[in-house]
Amino acid sequence: MEIFEHPILRFERKSKITFFFEGNPVEAYPQETVAMALYRNGINVFSYSPKLHRPRGLFCAIGKCSSCLMEVNGIPNVRTCILNVQEGMKVKRQNGLGDLPKTSEFLKSEKEYSPTVLVIGSGPAGLMASITLKEKGVDVLLIEQNPNLGGQLIKQTHKFFGSQKEKAGTRGIEIANELVKELNSLDVNYFTNTTLFSFYPRENVFLAFKDNELLKIFPKFVVFATGASEKMIPFEGNDLPNVMGAGAAQTLVNVYGIKVGTNVLMVGAGNVGLIVSYQLLQAGINVKAVVEASDKIGGYFVHAAKLTRFGVPIYTRTTIKKAVGVDKVEKAILVELDENFNETSKEFEIDVDAILLSVGLQPSYQLLAQAGCEMKYIPSLGGYVPLRSKELETSVKNFYIAGDVGGIEEASTAMLEGKLASLSILKKLGFDVEKEKEALELDLAKLRSTPFSKKILQGLKEVAYE
Amino acid sequence: MKSYDVVVVGGGIIGLATAYYLVKNGVRKIAIIEKEYIGSGSTGRCGTGIRQQFTTKEHIVLMRESVKIWRLWEEILPKPIHFRQGGYLWLLRSEEEDNEYRKYVALQNLFGVDSRIISKDEIKEIVPDINLEGIFGASWCPSDGSAYPQDVLDSLEMFLKSHGVDIFDYESVVDFKKTSDRVISIKTDKDEYALDNLLIAAGYATKSLANKLGFDIPVKNYRHQIVVSEPLKIFLSPMVVDRSLYFTQTYRGRIIGGTDTNEEETDDLTLTYNFLQKFSSELVSVFSKLSSVRLMRHWSGFYVVSPDKHPILGPTPLKNVFIGTGYSGHGFMLGPIVGKLLAHYITYGMFFLEEANHLTLDRFEKGMLIQEKAVIG
Repeated sequence: MEIFEHPILRFERKSKITFFFEGNPVEAYPQETVAMALYRNGINVFSYSPKLHRPRGLFCAIGKCSSCLMEVNGIPNVRTCILNVQEGMKVKRQNGLGDLPKTSEFLKSEKEYSPTVLVIGSGPAGLMASITLKEKGVDVLLIEQNPNLGGQLIKQTHKFFGSQKEKAGTRGIEIANELVKELNSLDVNYFTNTTLFSFYPRENVFLAFKDNELLKIFPKFVVFATGASEKMIPFEGNDLPNVMGAGAAQTLVNVYGIKVGTNVLMVGAGNVGLIVSYQLLQAGINVKAVVEASDKIGGYFVHAAKLTRFGVPIYTRTTIKKAVGVDKVEKAILVELDENFNETSKEFEIDVDAILLSVGLQPSYQLLAQAGCEMKYIPSLGGYVPLRSKELETSVKNFYIAGDVGGIEEASTAMLEGKLASLSILKKLGFDVEKEKEALELDLAKLRSTPFSKKILQGLKEVAYE
Repeated sequence: MKSYDVVVVGGGIIGLATAYYLVKNGVRKIAIIEKEYIGSGSTGRCGTGIRQQFTTKEHIVLMRESVKIWRLWEEILPKPIHFRQGGYLWLLRSEEEDNEYRKYVALQNLFGVDSRIISKDEIKEIVPDINLEGIFGASWCPSDGSAYPQDVLDSLEMFLKSHGVDIFDYESVVDFKKTSDRVISIKTDKDEYALDNLLIAAGYATKSLANKLGFDIPVKNYRHQIVVSEPLKIFLSPMVVDRSLYFTQTYRGRIIGGTDTNEEETDDLTLTYNFLQKFSSELVSVFSKLSSVRLMRHWSGFYVVSPDKHPILGPTPLKNVFIGTGYSGHGFMLGPIVGKLLAHYITYGMFFLEEANHLTLDRFEKGMLIQEKAVIG
């Protein structure tokens, strides 16, 4: 399932290591995650569900959901999509609930950190926030759950729209590279593969695990740049392996060079659905069709036109009714919808081995809710989002947000918000950033002045507070 | 104005269990007023444990009777409540403790509870993965156990609704109308109800409601914290108690437990890392294989603690007002028997168990306190 030739990407594959899946040796490249290594070897079933023993596989591939839990080295419920594979590692499918761990040694050490600013998440917002702060000499600690810095930028092979200032015309992967280079040149303190899971207000402590080490972080300010996760829609068989988020497929294909399938169906014709479909084509994967429930294509015309040129049909007013297959997707049954989105009797099936969902994103708001930030449900922003001031401070003092966690937009606004949150913190710290802030707010307003931003602006009004 | 034979304030286990037995006693017009959702107070936040290993006759007898009802409820309530008699394994760490608990076991046996002191070998048989270092023995009662609080409440609620009991949730008590010795009606933020009898079983809010009615209850609220883990296949059926630590596995596979952090009286339910750290280190020292298990949720609730750590049940200075409070952390397990006792008192003007007569509010005036030593968490 490996991709060897790609018009944009080069996959570096040097040495190989061996780990064990269900007792059998499996080859993998170091620096890839367990889930990716399994996919590379054609293994799609990661576990069987507790009640009905249905096969389960990957869904988000970025540590946001619990679809990829497996037993690793005797420890159950390990998120294999964010765990790097290691020589000799023992990986097992979980049959229902996990067994009592076989190991007694887990927590090896504890470490304490007291950064001025804790930045959670290293996507465009988090990277920009960290850079802006460190440039002024502020002590930053950046925490990232995934193995790589850069968030979802690291799989965006397309060139960005917008203005030159926000790096338009540059591919997402290149933007990530540039930002990471800047981060490193500033010597920002960061941890990858580190899951931040809890906040206790009484002690003002954030808890995170990095491998077997507990990090206790006591920050003065926090920028929550936790991003978003892909939404799921209800249909029969939606839990079959190889029904996954479009973003997960993008991770497989563009980050690790692994084919998600041979013939795939894309559900949703927004920008994500269209762009990912095109990227799959570039990787030599056949996109059999794109279906869209509404009566028109949601994404930009240019993206749709690229697909049409490749002969990929885009069926509007059509949705997925059922995913069929034994251990993974073998075909999809589609159904046409009437003007009220009700299913008609017009059904048809297509043979695909993967069904990719690009049906929207929802902000990863959980830590904010736990931290006590006042939340509001705003559909146009993707779900639960925190109230925030113009300076991006939440209802909890010194807790700031930046990027998709505050409402689903795109990477350019995320970068600007990351910078804005940091400038707001810098202002509180006594730096003179007024001019920079004003200019930035102007840029942000400009980015949001297109017709596509209308709904977002409306949503933002509802969560604004002074 | 709607009128009721009995209005119960508080939609927790006590309120629902009392309403259940009021229905059984033939009382027709019953209302329950709950300011949030059913079980939002202490019941839905409790540690699920049900035990008879206590140190006073009052607690032992009440819990012996409560366990009988728990067993019955598992069979006759409309939905399973997942009552499980997995036992309570109370670890003892010294010869002195062992001697002390032998006395309690003797008392428990005297009143018909099947507890006994067991050796380290027997502990190993019951919970093979326990770390026996520093353990002397254990007090073990196989008929103790646990139930799933939300399922108990759902099941009782279903029964009550099908028997015509009005349950008003998200409705707060605002005021009472009373004469010199009786309450005539109760005013909420939504309505007003005339009543013949009033039961206040409002957990941590019972005291303030009593104050509103002109009498005091000597109870204090203490925050206690609990965590649950991710679910695992069932490997642990008893509740294990080790000093102030307790933990068991729910039928859904999650480890649930807590410990005591010696907190001051408070109305604040904020969670603390201090608790998490103490709980984790205590848990891992006695059951090291749990060291890599992730915690999923952490919450807190109140122990409403009375001066002698026993419930305060029944009559008050007002003739038609009754209370149930002060369970000191044992309200859930005592729920069925307390419900039956309170319903009996409201219906017939007396308790049916001698021991309950020792648990009325006037014992504090008379100086007739009973002292419970075995309080955990």
